[in-house]
Amino acid sequence: MRQAFNKFLSSGTLFVWLCGAAVAMSLLMVGGILLLIMVNGLGFFWPHTISEMTLKDGTRLLGEIQGQEVIPNSMTPESPEGKTRIRMKIGNRDLYGLDFQWVDEEDIVARSTPQDVVVFERREWGNFYGRIQQVTQGDMVMASDNNQAWKILPPLIEQVNQLHEDIDVIQRVEIGDINHDMEQARLKIQALHIKGISQSPEIVEREATIQRLEIQYQQQVETLRQLDARLADYTLTLVDTNGREKSLPLGQIVEALRPNDMGVGAKCLTYLHNFWTVLSDEPREANTEGGIFPAIFGTVMMVFIMSIAVVPFGVLAAFYLKEYARQGAVVRIVRIAVNNLAGVPSIVFGVFGLGFFVYAVGGTVDQLFYPEALPNPTFGTGGILWASLTLALMTVPVVIVATEESLSAVPREYREGSIALGATKFESMWRVILPCAMPGILTGLILAVARATGEVAPLMLTGVVKLAPALPLDFHFPFVHLDRKFMHLGFHIYDVGFQSPNVEAAKPMVYVTTLILVMVVIMLNMTAIALRNRMKKKFKGAAV
Amino acid sequence: MLSQIFQQSRRKLKSAIIVALSIAVCGVPVAFADSESMVDPDWKSYARVSGITGNVNSIGSDTLNNLMTLWAEGFRKEYPNVKIQIEGKGSSTAPPALIEGTAQLGPMSRKMKAKEMDKFEAKFGYKPTAFPVAVDALAVYVNKDNPIQGLSMEEVDSIFSKTRRRGHRVNIDTWDKAGLKDHWKNVTVSLYGRNSASGTYGFFKKKVLNKGDYKDQVKEQPGSASVVQGITEDRGGIGYSGIGYRTSGVRAIPLSAKSGDPFFEPTFMNASSGKYPLARLLYVYVNKAPGKPLAPLVKEFLNYVYSQQGQMVVIKDGYFPLPQKLMEKKLTEMN
Repeated sequence: MRQAFNKFLSSGTLFVWLCGAAVAMSLLMVGGILLLIMVNGLGFFWPHTISEMTLKDGTRLLGEIQGQEVIPNSMTPESPEGKTRIRMKIGNRDLYGLDFQWVDEEDIVARSTPQDVVVFERREWGNFYGRIQQVTQGDMVMASDNNQAWKILPPLIEQVNQLHEDIDVIQRVEIGDINHDMEQARLKIQALHIKGISQSPEIVEREATIQRLEIQYQQQVETLRQLDARLADYTLTLVDTNGREKSLPLGQIVEALRPNDMGVGAKCLTYLHNFWTVLSDEPREANTEGGIFPAIFGTVMMVFIMSIAVVPFGVLAAFYLKEYARQGAVVRIVRIAVNNLAGVPSIVFGVFGLGFFVYAVGGTVDQLFYPEALPNPTFGTGGILWASLTLALMTVPVVIVATEESLSAVPREYREGSIALGATKFESMWRVILPCAMPGILTGLILAVARATGEVAPLMLTGVVKLAPALPLDFHFPFVHLDRKFMHLGFHIYDVGFQSPNVEAAKPMVYVTTLILVMVVIMLNMTAIALRNRMKKKFKGAAV
Repeated sequence: MLSQIFQQSRRKLKSAIIVALSIAVCGVPVAFADSESMVDPDWKSYARVSGITGNVNSIGSDTLNNLMTLWAEGFRKEYPNVKIQIEGKGSSTAPPALIEGTAQLGPMSRKMKAKEMDKFEAKFGYKPTAFPVAVDALAVYVNKDNPIQGLSMEEVDSIFSKTRRRGHRVNIDTWDKAGLKDHWKNVTVSLYGRNSASGTYGFFKKKVLNKGDYKDQVKEQPGSASVVQGITEDRGGIGYSGIGYRTSGVRAIPLSAKSGDPFFEPTFMNASSGKYPLARLLYVYVNKAPGKPLAPLVKEFLNYVYSQQGQMVVIKDGYFPLPQKLMEKKLTEMN
């Protein structure tokens, strides 16, 4: 018996099983997390069935059923399973105050799924569940019952959405341009004032420019006002399931659906459309609704800037440590320090970034190069550059370690061969060793990117905001605005999950954002991996 | 002081009563005053002025974070060329930001402490100016299944504090000590609170604990919404947060100022009349030199906040609008 056990141990089968179990556990956990995110996040876009409940006291509820639970301690001898209650999303926040409500199932006397109920996605106050009472244009009644109104509604909604787009273009592009030019002119004048020049032809000219722009701006504002007025052309009177009325301008409606009347095909189309909206739209209502485009953009751009900063820096440091520095106690200490740096909590980097980059470097840059904008800080406040550099600092040990490893993996013969052919040390490093080490360096970058994308704590101190008014990349010179604050998916999750007042309604948004963050990480990694594979191939060809 | 100001706004109160009654008659399950009724429909709406442009940074309270964002969204509709950036990590981050000049608006859910005032004064030679922007009824939340009728301030103190400065005899650590029976007898009271950078933390400590100490068991949360979420999942949970964070998973319990007094729900009416003991004002602090006007952009932002639209946003976020008298006073001060 004992012998058999010993044999079994020495055969290594147990070890194989242990390894297999470890891999299986890891896969299970990763899969479980992804599944959880996907189950909670992907359902968000699906147009759910709307149920109408009549309660014992005669009131009615209309909404989506979003969950069911057993009421604790409700088990009695007659019903050992206990009573249940359901959670309904009833919307109509402006009428009821809360989007969700728990209903005891024993209070429900009748339930149905009427075909004619409409779900309105609104620009403010969340969804409205109900029916249409009438549609009016000024004093003229266009439709006076639910079905008639439903027929004329789709083109009208399209029209207002088009209007919103036009307004958006004016606000963002036209007024954005004017604004930018104005700001420039104002700063130039300010700069001249600082130099002690208070009167010069240039100032007069700039002031004239500002005035001209101001007139242009007023014109645009006038156009905007007209468009805004057109949004209120049509008035929609809605009625909830208990007969309470609510009038609102049609411009408030984003989308109207009758999910109970939709086939699977139509629902799929809506699903894709909703998904695309979240990816491409700006957030609304303090980030709890609308899309998350600025956050996706901010995350990707930050990672790019970080990569640009971290790779050369890390690679040069590793080259020095490995190739040039005399191996000894000092180098060992430096190496230990670098490795320890990888273990420092990210929030410490955040504090360092705030103190060093934002206040010290940024403050000095402002005083030297942007005195005209003071006391408003330009670089002396958090921004995408400082956030990226802080993350670069945080991830540089990863790159250094990976590069050093791949440098030691380059076969000795390559170096000797290169030098034997008459190349200098620099030439052989640049032409032979670096290309060979490139896949390893990219592995370091992949790890760095993965760590940086998910990091939130240091960003909160160095430039992430809840709502950034402008992207850090636009059509105004110098196109990349490194001083701007930005939005980030990780912070978005934190903010919507922990700080939004209507946290129940915002919960699906948290999962959707998480899902997209995971997708962004995967995409960034895939890009780096594809790059690495190409290099490996190239290097293979060259080596033969 | 609050109650005095509130007494003056009788008219709104009346309309709120009518709405509350009509809701009670209709049988809408949630006691919620209709959005239109809390702000006087005759209160001035915002009028655009010309020449407003530039950048504003707002750094401060987490309670006010959403409100500021919603105001910023609305304000940008009026002035598309204005950029407003908002950070909200706690009221304690507002004073340093105002002093450093990194923010022009400092939203705070409590008043500035004397120490913070002094630091500001040491740099600028004058005190920062506070503008109340909304009314909050700081609510004590329990899980939706918790049948407790209400708590007196002494009991709340005894639940959250280890010093028990309000003098409640027993330390309430299980729910039966707060008067619950049956299944709730041995359920421990599980405490949720905010982190110490939060103004809500400070306000609660001052008003409920009489500046006593919190129990060590309080689970300090990074945001008001996570307090509510914690209680939603925790049957024995109790915690405090702004009334704007109410969800269907929790119940905001009625409170009484003294044991033996009647309980009052955290509603607009009770907050306005001062009957609810934890009503408070939410502020925005600005840097205003005496005798000098405010920066035009900041001034217009506050004008917007004090307008019909601005106060509607307050309701949208779940808080209560300011009494008209107070707004009038602040507007004359400002202009």
